[in-house]
Order: sequence, then structure tokens, then C-alpha cells
Amino acid sequence: MKLLLTGLSHKTAPVHLREKLAIAEGTVPQALQELQKLGASEAVVLSTCNRVEFALSSPDDVEPHAIFDRFLTDWKGSSTVFDGHIYRLQARDAISHLFRVAASLDSMVVGEPQILGQLKAAYAMAKSEGTVGGLLETVLTRAFNVAKRVRSETGIGQMAVSISYAAVELSRKIFGSLQGQTVMIVGSGKMGELAAKHLRRAGASRILVTNRTWERAQELAKLFHGQAVEYTRFQSMLHEVDIVIASSGAPHYILHREDMQRVITQRKNRPMFLIDIAVPRNIDPEVDKIEGIFLYTVDDLEGVVSENLKERGKQAEQAEAIVIHEVELMMARLRIEEVTPTIISLQSQLEEIRAAEVSRALRRMPDLTPEQVQQFDAATRSMINKIAHGPISELRRNAGQPEGNQAIELIRKVFHLH
Amino acid sequence: MGESSVLWLRVAAGLYSLGLLDAIITVIRRREGLFRVALGAFALGALFQLVSLVELGMAQHQLPVSDIFETMSFCSWIITAAFLAIYYRYKAASLSVFIFPLVFVMTLIGALRTPVSTWSSPVIANTWLAVHVVAVLLGYAALLFTAAASVVYLVQERRLKRKRQSTGSFFRVLPPLGTLDDLISKSLGVGFAFITIGIVIGSIWAFVEMGTRWIGESSIAISFVTWLVYLALVFFRVSSGWRGRKTAILSIVALACCLATWVAHATQFKSLNQ
Repeated sequence: MKLLLTGLSHKTAPVHLREKLAIAEGTVPQALQELQKLGASEAVVLSTCNRVEFALSSPDDVEPHAIFDRFLTDWKGSSTVFDGHIYRLQARDAISHLFRVAASLDSMVVGEPQILGQLKAAYAMAKSEGTVGGLLETVLTRAFNVAKRVRSETGIGQMAVSISYAAVELSRKIFGSLQGQTVMIVGSGKMGELAAKHLRRAGASRILVTNRTWERAQELAKLFHGQAVEYTRFQSMLHEVDIVIASSGAPHYILHREDMQRVITQRKNRPMFLIDIAVPRNIDPEVDKIEGIFLYTVDDLEGVVSENLKERGKQAEQAEAIVIHEVELMMARLRIEEVTPTIISLQSQLEEIRAAEVSRALRRMPDLTPEQVQQFDAATRSMINKIAHGPISELRRNAGQPEGNQAIELIRKVFHLH
Repeated sequence: MGESSVLWLRVAAGLYSLGLLDAIITVIRRREGLFRVALGAFALGALFQLVSLVELGMAQHQLPVSDIFETMSFCSWIITAAFLAIYYRYKAASLSVFIFPLVFVMTLIGALRTPVSTWSSPVIANTWLAVHVVAVLLGYAALLFTAAASVVYLVQERRLKRKRQSTGSFFRVLPPLGTLDDLISKSLGVGFAFITIGIVIGSIWAFVEMGTRWIGESSIAISFVTWLVYLALVFFRVSSGWRGRKTAILSIVALACCLATWVAHATQFKSLNQ
């Protein structure tokens, strides 16, 4: 079997080329059928905004490149428009690429979890169209396991890589559980809304919303199942609030050091997390000097995100090592599957010879007792097993070895196996 | 000291012990426990103590401050009266966490003056002493947790203030501040309860063993200092929510005091055995 993985990704092609190669979701079944009609044994199509990939398998005597070229000509008008951007990977390289994609090592944001879901969906589509069930299926199912292993053995997906998630992660670092925490949103910036939504989902139990415009406050409060607070008295409620998200359009600071000093004393020094994502800033940076108050601005949050990305990079190195190891295992397994037919034909050939010779001999010796016949049978059987033992273990040993193919070929020649 | 005046004093100490219980519950549960009950018991205890002091003063025809026991009792009564007056005027309930245990222990010391008959059997004496040692050691262990958690809290707080996330994977796994804070509160409350029980039992043991001489022992004086540091730690935490550096420093000081107490006890026992 031959394996081909080809396509474009955010790393090799700009978006206008990716769009050109993309297969619209509704036409994927058609494309799969088409590829099979052109001679592919199996086909899977993965088409997302960051990558468009085709995985094909074909019998040894069929060239998968030719199949794909014909497909491109039929569907996209020409087989050469993508030259210079399209990658064509075979055998080991194709397997390695699939593993890396599944483990989110080839993603724009390394470690993001969506790609695995997209790959699984692509596989499910191919399965329902009947275009997988063999080599490609074996590789894909293994790829899903590799992704799982990478996720559990490295911390690649654990750190927040967006500003609003970084806010949630920091809240957890400060308060432990978000259960029972009160969040106040001051103003109605987009990013503030997003952060509040994440905090709500992470378990924050009470959301207060305040805005210069009372109607807007009520609107937002409804959105978060929260409670609207009049702008004039939000400061007097601050001591009940654990997390403040400031994103109002005020042109000056709305929270000063003295205000917050008073609030923190009222709270008996229980910590507070202030997130200032307004531009210009809403909270006086002096506030950060108060013990027990953690003030993060957009820049601080971005700093956290970039640290996390760096850390992900480190984790990705470990993940690459896992993938390399897994590819080796996969190759070895595929080669063992490759020598299995040879082993079976060797065994059946020897058995054929034995059966013929035994029945000829027995015809010449009609007087043997049943016990003697049985012993004769057993002796010959044990003889061919012993003869076969050497070559079979050699076949197994050489499967998956770099120079193994020569030894395997030699054994086939010696025993006249075809 | 008249027989009945000691009796009144012991009744007062018994009533004050409710205040101690309230303080411990407040620390562990972080909300008011038996405050109402304890306050009532406190007022009643103050009344009994006043009776005891007046009786003693009349018997001696002088202010009952002639020795350390009488002074202790007298001082604790003044503190109680002052607290009740302040509470009446300002409703400063959070002071009770400090005052209640302090008054209880001071009154108890005052009540441990008149010698009583010695142990009815050495088994009881040994058991009594064993309970003291176990309670104190449990208290030390809890304090160790408090101190360790306070230091980790400090590190984590610094890290969050610095706004830098990854300085090695070790720091990434530090527990959240909230969790540490909870651990500090719980271990502090439990530790304080054990140490207080230990010190009460220890004082009574020393009193029975040595009569009025016990108050002069240096190891016992150190124990009381340690206990006062512990009490301060508990008080500042409950009343003004001390966290971070202050808690870390004070809990390490308390731990050092515990060590000193332990050393003092060890040397004393060595000399006793010789």
C-alpha cells in the first residue's frame, strides 16, 4: 500500500490559495467518491480555515500522485496552480505529518484543541462515505491516540493563550475556586464582556454590571444573568466584589488609590483582582501598590499570554519527541503487517509439499496401523515447523528494519514465494 | 487568700472559658460563633471575679495585689471591665478574639495559687502530663503548617504581583492564594486551640506539682510569651485580616518561640531528673 498526504496549510500558503483549494463542506462526500473512482483505495479530506489536506492510500502498483493530479485538474481546473505551496508527503513523512496535525503541533496556535475535533470529523465523514477501512484508518486511529497521549503527558494545552482566558486563569490562581466569587463589570467594552462570559462559565456566581447609561447596564445584566448597579453607587459596593473588570470609555481614572485602600480595609484585606482593559486606563496604576490587590492591565495580560506561549513551545519539544517515537512504532507495525502475507504463504507452501509427500508415502505402505500413521504425520509436521522457524523469525526480525527489505526479498526468492 | 474568694475566682475562670471557645470557633469557622453566649458568660464571670477580689481585699485590709497571682487576677478583671465598657460604647466585637483567651488564661493563673492536695496516684499525674505534651506537640505541628503555608502564600503573592507567570515549572504548581489562605486559617485555629489546651493543662500540672513556686519557672514564662505571640497572630488575622508578609513573619516568630519553649522545657527536665 502507498500513502500520500498532500495539501496546503497556513505555513505554506496564503489564505487566497487555501481558499482556492478548500472543499466546501457539502461537497466533501462527492470529493471522497471522486478520489476513490480515480483509483484511491482510501481517501480523507480535511478542510479548515488554516489547512486543506487530502490523505490517500492506493495499491502498490498505483501512483497516488497521479490520482491527486487528476483530481486537481477535474475539480480546480489545473494540477499546477498550487505548485510551490503544496506539500506532498509519502509513507513515513505522511504518517508523521498526520500525527503532528492531530497533536496540534502544526497549528497556528500550537496546542489549540479544535484541530483534533476537525480531524475526527473528517475521519467520520470518510467512514460514513465508506472511503476508509485499511491502512489510512489504522494510521488515523493511531493519530487520535497520539494526540491524546501528547495532551496528557505534556502541558501543551493547559495554559491560557488568549487574554480573556488568561484573566480566568489568574482568577483561579488568586481565589482557587471561582465558586462563590462576585464579579463586577464597569463599562461595556467588548473584551470586558468576553472576560465576564468566561468567568461566568468558570463558576463565578454573582455578576454585577454598572454603566453610565442605566439602560445599557440593565441590558448587559440580563445577558449575564447578573444584577445592574447604578453608576453613582458602584463604588460603595466594591467591598463585596472579588473581581473587577474595568472597560469603560471614561477619559480619566475612575478608581484611585485612596478609594481602593478604603475598600480593601473594608474587606479585611481579602484579596481583590482588578482587570483594567480600558484604553485609556480606568484604574490608577498606583492601586497596584496596595497589598492584597492584583491589578492587571491589557499589557500585563498580554505578557502572561506570551509567557504561556513560550512555555507551550517548550512543551511542544517534548511532544515532538513523543510523535517521533510513535511514528517509529507505527512504521514497525506496518512492516510487520507487510511481512504477514509472506509468512502465511511460506507456511502454506511447506504444508502443501508435506501433505502431498505424506499421502504418496502412505499409498506405498498400506499396512501401517492407525497409530503408526499418526506418528508419521506428526513427525513430518514437526519437521516442516522446524524448517519454517528460521525464515519466519528472520522475516519478523527484519520487518521494520532499515535494511530489512533485502533480507525479506531474499527469503521470498529462496522459497520461491510470490 | 480566703477559701471562698478562690472558689469565686475559679467559677469566673470557668465562665471565661466560654469566651476562649468562642474565639477558637471564630478563627476556624471565620464567623461569629458563640459570641452572644460568651459575652453573657463574660459579664457574669466579671461579677464573680469582682466578688472574689472584694472579699480578698477586705480580708487583707489592702488592695489585693500583694503577689503575682493576685495581680494577675486584678489585672484580668480590669481588662474585662474595660472590654465590657468599650464593647458597650463601640460594639468592637472583633477585640473579643484577643481579650477572651487572654482574660481566661490570666484568671486561671490567678486561681492557681492556693495549694491543693497532691495527685491521688502517679498514673493520673503521668496521664495529665502526657495529655499536656500531646496537645502542645499537635499545636506545634499545626503552627508548622501555618508558617509553611504563609511562606508559600508570600511567594505566590509576589509572583502574582510581579505579573510574570513562568519562572520554571515549580512555581506553576503552587496552590492558589485562596486555598493557602484557607489552610492558614484552619491550621492557625486548630493549632491555637491545642496550644491553649496544652498551656492550661501544663499550668495546672505545674501548680499541683510545685505549689506556688510554679509561676517563677523560666520555662513557664517562655510558654506564656509563646502563647501571647500565637494569640497576637490569631487576633490580627481575624480582626484585620493579616495576610502575606505580616502573617508569614509573625508565624515564623511564633515558631521560633515554640522552639525556645521546647528547649527551655528540655533543659528544665534534665535538671529535674538530675
